[in-house]
Amino acid sequence: MTKTVVVIGAGLAGIQVTQQLTDLGVTVHLIEKESIIGGLATHLGRVFPTGDCALCLDACEELFDGHHRRCQYRSLLTSKKNLKLYTQTEIKSITEADGKISVSIKSHPRYVLLDRCVVCLECINVCDVEIPDEYAIRGGTRKAIYRPISQGVPLAPLIDMDHCTQCGKCVEVCGVDAIDLEDKAKTRTIKADALILATGVEEKIPLNLAGYAYSESDDIITQRELARLIDPAGDTNGQVITSSGDDAAKVTMVLCAGSRDLEATEYCSQACCTYSLKHANMLRDKEIDVTICYMDLRVQKASNHYLDLARKKGVKFLRGKPDKVIVRDGKPTAIVEDTQTQQRMEIESDLVVLASPLSPLASQSEVLADFLGEYGFASRVIKEGRVYACGTATGPEDIPTSIAEANAIALRVYADLEGGR
Amino acid sequence: MAIRRSTSDLTFRNWVLEQPEGETLLRCYQCGRCTSACPVAAIDNSFNPRLFLQKILLADESLAEEQLVWTCLTCEQCEVRCPEHVKIPHLLILAKVRGLVGGNIPQAALDRARGILTGGRIIMVNESMLKTRNKMGLPDLGQPPVDQIASVLKEIGLAKKLEKLESVYGGEGNE
Amino acid sequence: MSKVKTYTYFPGCMIPFRLPHFELAARAVLKKFDIELEANPGHACCPEPTTFTGVDFEAWVTLAARNVAVSETTGLETLSLCSGCFHTLAVANHMVQEDENLKSRINERLKTVGLKVTGNLIVKNILHVLHGDVGLERIKKEITHPLKGLKFAPHYGCHLVRPLEATHMDDAEQPKWMDDIIEVTGAEVADFEDKMSCCGAPIMPSDADKAFTLTADRIEKIRASGADAIIVVCPTCYTQLETQQKKATAKFDPEYSIPVLYLGELLAISMGMKDMVISNARRYHRVKIGPLLEKIGGAA
Repeated sequence: MTKTVVVIGAGLAGIQVTQQLTDLGVTVHLIEKESIIGGLATHLGRVFPTGDCALCLDACEELFDGHHRRCQYRSLLTSKKNLKLYTQTEIKSITEADGKISVSIKSHPRYVLLDRCVVCLECINVCDVEIPDEYAIRGGTRKAIYRPISQGVPLAPLIDMDHCTQCGKCVEVCGVDAIDLEDKAKTRTIKADALILATGVEEKIPLNLAGYAYSESDDIITQRELARLIDPAGDTNGQVITSSGDDAAKVTMVLCAGSRDLEATEYCSQACCTYSLKHANMLRDKEIDVTICYMDLRVQKASNHYLDLARKKGVKFLRGKPDKVIVRDGKPTAIVEDTQTQQRMEIESDLVVLASPLSPLASQSEVLADFLGEYGFASRVIKEGRVYACGTATGPEDIPTSIAEANAIALRVYADLEGGR
Repeated sequence: MAIRRSTSDLTFRNWVLEQPEGETLLRCYQCGRCTSACPVAAIDNSFNPRLFLQKILLADESLAEEQLVWTCLTCEQCEVRCPEHVKIPHLLILAKVRGLVGGNIPQAALDRARGILTGGRIIMVNESMLKTRNKMGLPDLGQPPVDQIASVLKEIGLAKKLEKLESVYGGEGNE
Repeated sequence: MSKVKTYTYFPGCMIPFRLPHFELAARAVLKKFDIELEANPGHACCPEPTTFTGVDFEAWVTLAARNVAVSETTGLETLSLCSGCFHTLAVANHMVQEDENLKSRINERLKTVGLKVTGNLIVKNILHVLHGDVGLERIKKEITHPLKGLKFAPHYGCHLVRPLEATHMDDAEQPKWMDDIIEVTGAEVADFEDKMSCCGAPIMPSDADKAFTLTADRIEKIRASGADAIIVVCPTCYTQLETQQKKATAKFDPEYSIPVLYLGELLAISMGMKDMVISNARRYHRVKIGPLLEKIGGAA
C-alpha cells in the first residue's frame, strides 16, 4: 500500500524531502504557513556555494553536488499527483493512534482560486490599496491583492483581507472568475505513516540586543535586510542605499551579533560567516568599502572560496567584537577594539550590518513543542519510524548542508516505512 | 599577534585559576568586547582589559606589577557585555592581590586596609560625628569587634603583609 | 495599623558617620511604612569592595562572610543603605552559597569567634525594600506633596546593581526600580545617555584625573537631559558627583550645577518631610539644593 507522509514547512529542505519521497512513490502532504513556498530562501537573492538564485536550488531531477538545480516554478511541485501542497496552513493538532499519525490542519483562504487563476495579474493593477511591502526595506509598497515576490509559488496572487476594502474591482476585472471574496478557511485531518518537520529558521530581529542600536536607525540592518537591498528584484532594484536614499559608500559588518553569547543566543548560527562574506563580495563589486568585524571566521569547506575572494577583492577584516553600534550625527558607528593592533576604533559607516542569529521557527508553535530539544531544535530522528526532522529545523546550517540532510532523511524515512516494519 | 615572552612559569595563572571564580578566565576567547565596553579604555588606550586577560592566560605576571590594574573601576560593564560572562573585574582584583607583594598598591588602599584592621572601619570616627548622630536621634552603633577581625584573619596573615608593605612605603603621603 | 517589620540594619562606615542625613531620611521614610531598622553591634566594615579586595581578596571575602554570619544570627533580612556594603554582603553571601570549598575554609576561620556562615542570608538594598516589600501602591498613598513638573535623573551606580546573580536586581543594563519610585512621587524620569555609567569614584585613589574625566562626562550627559537633580542611592556616588562637580563646572560652565539628592531625601520631601531635608541641606549638600527646594516649594 502507498505510504503517506506529512511534511511541515515548504522551505528548501521541506521541498527537497518532498520531491525525493514523491519520486519514490510516497504520497506527501506538504504544509506551509506562508502563501508561497521557499521559506527564508525567498528573501535571500543569490545563495552559496554557487551564487545561484535561491529559488532555483530545489526541484527534482539532475543531481549535482548534493543539491538539485532546477527552477522551483518550473518544477513539478504543484502538478505531481502524489503531492498535495497546502499554503497559508497552520497545524492545529498532532496525535498518534493505531500506528498512524493524525495531523489536523487549517488552511486560511487565499480568496484567489488556484485552479482558475491564469496569473494575468490584472487584479493587482486595478487594486487601489497601497501598504508597506514585507519584502521591501526602503519603503516599497504592495497592493491588498498581491504576490509577495514575483517568482513565488503558487504564482497566483492572494488577498490580504486585513487591508482589502472589498471594493470589488478585482472581482470585476478577473476574466476567469478566479476571485472569491467569500472564500472560507478549510480544516481537515490527514492520516499519515510518518511526519517530517522541516520548519526551518528565521533571522532573529535584534531589537533588544544590548549595545546595538538596531531599533534606533534604519541604517543598522541585518544580513537578511542587506540581501533584500542587493536583490535586483527588491524595492531598491539592487541599489544599496541608506535610509536617506544616498548610495552607501562604506559598510561595516558585525559577525556574531547576538550569537555565541550567553546573554543572547548561545549557539553558532553556522551560515552567517559565509553569507556575510558573500554579501561583502557583492558590495565590493559595487565598489563599496567593506569592513567585517569578526571573532573568528567559521566558513564551511564548500564555501571557502568566498573567503579567498573577499581577500582578493579588498574586504577589510578587523578581529574584534564591537561592544556598541551607536548612532552619532545620524550615522551608525561601531565601537570596537582591533585586537591585532590593540587600538580602540570608532568606525563611522553608511550602513552597519548585523549578522543576527538564526532561530528555530518550530519553537513558536505549541503543537510542535514536544518534538523539540535544546534551543528549540529537533533531532533528525525524533521517533523511529514515525517522526523525523531535516534542514534547519535540526539546527542552523547552510543551504547545501540542509539539502543534503533532506536527501538523507528522505531515504531514511523511505527505508523505515518500506522496510517491512 | 605579538606574544611577549612570559616573565614567569605557570604559577601566576594556576594561582588565579585556584581562586574563587578564577576559572572563569578559561572561558575568554579574546573577542575584545570588554575593551570596547570599558569606560576607562575609552579615555586611555593603554588600559585594555582583553590584553590583561591575555596576559593572565599566558601566565605573564608582569601584569600584577602594572599600576594600570588599579584603574579598573570594578563597574562590571565589561562583564555585563562579555559573551562568556568572564568575571573580568574579579580577575583584575586577583592580579592586584598578586602585585601587592611587589608594592603595587595606592596609598589610600593601604590606609583603608589599615583602618579596617585596627578600627573595624575605613574611616576614623570622631567625637563630632557621634554628637551629630545623637542630635539627629540616630542610635549608637557601638564599636566594631576588632578582636574578631584579627582572629578570623590570623591564618591569612594580612597584618604581617600590611606591616611589610607599610615599611616599603615608609609612611610617605596620606589621604 | 499594620504590623511593624524589622530589618537588620547594616550601617557600614560612610552613611552613619559621614552622611548621617541618609540614614535619618531613610529611617523617617521607612517608618511611614511601619519598617524599623535594628543595628547589630557585631557588624564591622563590610569591607569596601573597590580597594580592599585588591589588597587581599581572601581576607575581604572572609571579613564579609563574618558580617553575613552575624546577620544570619539575627534571623531577619538584612538591609544595607550603602551600595558598597550591599554589594559586598550580597557577593560574599552568593560566593559562599556557590562554593563549598570557600564556605568550609571560611567557616574554619569563623569557628575561632563562634560564628558560622551558610550563605542563605537575604541581603537587600533600599530598592528591594521600597519597590519589592513596600510596593509602589503603598508608597503612592504616602505621597502628600507630589513633585509635579520636576525631572530627575536616577543614577543607580554599579555596585547596587551588579552582578545580578548576587544582587537580584531587575536588570544589569536598564534597571527600572528607581525610575518607578521617582514616577510615584509625581516627578518625571529624565532620559539620559549611558544610564548605568560609573560615577568614577572607585579609581580616585589610583588615578584622580581619570576619575574626574569620567565624573565630568557623567554629569555632562545628565545635564544634557534637562534634569533638575540627580537621584542616588550610594553614598560614594553621592560624594563623587558632589565633590567633583565644583571642578567639573569650573571646567565646562561655572554657572551650571546640578543638585544631588539621596533617594530617601526625595521621598521624604514628597511625603511632607521637607523641613527635615532642609535642616541638613547646608551641612551635607555641597551643591546647593536651595533653588531646587524653591522649585519644589509650590508643590511641597
